[in-house]
Amino acid sequence: MSAEPESGGAPRAARPYRYAEQHTPPPPQRASEVAITRFEHVFEVDPRLMDVWVAQQAFPNWDTLRIMHARADHLEWMHRHFAATVVPASELIAEIEAPTAD
Amino acid sequence: MTATEVLDPVIEALHGVLRPDQVLTGRTDRYNRARVPAPFPVHRWAERLPDLAVLPETTEEVAAVVKVANRFRIPVVPRDGGTGLTDGAVPLRGGIVVDVKRMNAVHEIDLENRTCTVGVGINMLKLNEQLAQYGLIYPDDPASYPCSLVGGRIGTSGWSLIGARYGHTRDLVLSFDHVLPTGEVMHVGDGAGGKLTKSSSGYQLKHLFMGHQGTLGIATRATLKLYPKPEAEFSPFFAFADYDSAYACVGALARAGVATFSGAVLFDEWKVAYLRRDDEAYIPQPADVRALACTVLYGYDDEVRAGGRRLLRIAREHGARYLGDEISAGDWAARHDRYATPLHGRTRSGQVVPMSWHCEDAAVNYTDLPAVAREWHAIIGELRAKTDVFDDWGMFCYTSGSTGADYLTEIDVGIWEQQLGDRAWAMWVEAKRAIAAAALRHGGSISACHGSCREGEVDLVPEELGRGFDLMLDLKRTLDPNNIMNPGKYLLDRAYPDPGATAGTGDGGTP
Repeated sequence: MSAEPESGGAPRAARPYRYAEQHTPPPPQRASEVAITRFEHVFEVDPRLMDVWVAQQAFPNWDTLRIMHARADHLEWMHRHFAATVVPASELIAEIEAPTAD
Repeated sequence: MTATEVLDPVIEALHGVLRPDQVLTGRTDRYNRARVPAPFPVHRWAERLPDLAVLPETTEEVAAVVKVANRFRIPVVPRDGGTGLTDGAVPLRGGIVVDVKRMNAVHEIDLENRTCTVGVGINMLKLNEQLAQYGLIYPDDPASYPCSLVGGRIGTSGWSLIGARYGHTRDLVLSFDHVLPTGEVMHVGDGAGGKLTKSSSGYQLKHLFMGHQGTLGIATRATLKLYPKPEAEFSPFFAFADYDSAYACVGALARAGVATFSGAVLFDEWKVAYLRRDDEAYIPQPADVRALACTVLYGYDDEVRAGGRRLLRIAREHGARYLGDEISAGDWAARHDRYATPLHGRTRSGQVVPMSWHCEDAAVNYTDLPAVAREWHAIIGELRAKTDVFDDWGMFCYTSGSTGADYLTEIDVGIWEQQLGDRAWAMWVEAKRAIAAAALRHGGSISACHGSCREGEVDLVPEELGRGFDLMLDLKRTLDPNNIMNPGKYLLDRAYPDPGATAGTGDGGTP
């Protein structure tokens, strides 16, 4: 699995696992004063804030993405558990903001 | 006498009523049943240990265990999911933990009367997986939904996130079998109980045997009210530039009288600041997002859409900015499962530290929410100024009912448990007392949800209940003559003339 699992090319399972590739995360972008981001929608606490009391561990890229996808799966499951569908507010906002026919 | 001399005859008697695999005396068996989510001074863990645990499978077995406990004057502490935040399931005097997890069968699903009857060891999530195949749901929805159990919900009289639509545990549990502190078995509900939702016959005893935190016995089998599983959910989240606008908006949403309204939540400025540190939904938000509100509707698609349009108009009139479908769906789904959130806080210098979550709650009327919020933050601010052990994680206010009268008001406090020594714990207990006192000063109750058993808050329960607390003592003494049922909780030892003579192995267990 690569750092971009949804990208084209060979199927994930067919790609070779490259240790160095997996342990080389994309360069960080600053997201706020206390957070950085390396993958879309994935935020991390700024590592400079974790050098006294919290030990950091090496984390392969695929595992970061697996955890984030698992969380998204879990939240989606929870919606289905409580109701068959979710009505997006954007739909209703569009309705109430649409100009009336007259 | 040594602990062994006290316990050996008890264990022998328990082996007379249970199989050997139902009586647990191992160290890990006991430590695992002393832990609850609320932070505590871990260096004093041994003070909270049971002497042994039992795993009964029937009401009759629970009754037999309680009779053994009476014979030997040894405490009994009921334990369900162990997810409570006021230490109801924590043994304070050693004794026997009655772990009900094996009583988790679905005995009946009555499609015609829309009820089910279950063993109280079942979890709501697992129950709803079975009910879904019939298009039904049992809508008791705490933040511990995936891990709390029906019996614990009865023992604590739980609060539900979607209680404004469906009611809370007291409304959803119709009746239950209950083992009294003497070992007698009683069926309790409205009148004859069973599947009745309303009776005017006799005293209304059901509420008495809910929310007692295990001090009046053990529920074993319950009949629950069921609803159609909702066709649609609607859960918009809104941003505001200031707390006052968000507060006004939440009040208006709750007062609107929309039939599918299931709840609304207010996030204050401290909560937004906390979320900006670590929550992927809020890290990227612009700086002028300072308070949040959300609401949720459940029901049939057409009624949810109609109600949703009405609430969106109200939100727009109050200056709400919609945060988008993705954040709204993700954040609401996460509300059902707050116990799975990994937590950390910050020192005053900004360094990340591992922290546990302590949630102080109260029931507060809408008009008093801003004043209570100011006082609570000031209390935690004083603690924070003294030590890095505590971190203010902000406040939520959740509607308790469908008319917006009162709110489950909570302040989340990060506690650095590894640094929680006796001095810091004493500071925390004092803060808890001040938090409870503030709620009472504003006409509120010490707790809407968690109960008020813990050190600090419990001191004020007699003040809150007045003459009602004396009645609690009278009832406790009458129903539990030997004080064997969860002794040490709710100041109920005062019901007995000689507290030193009440049940307890005295050593808090054998570590």
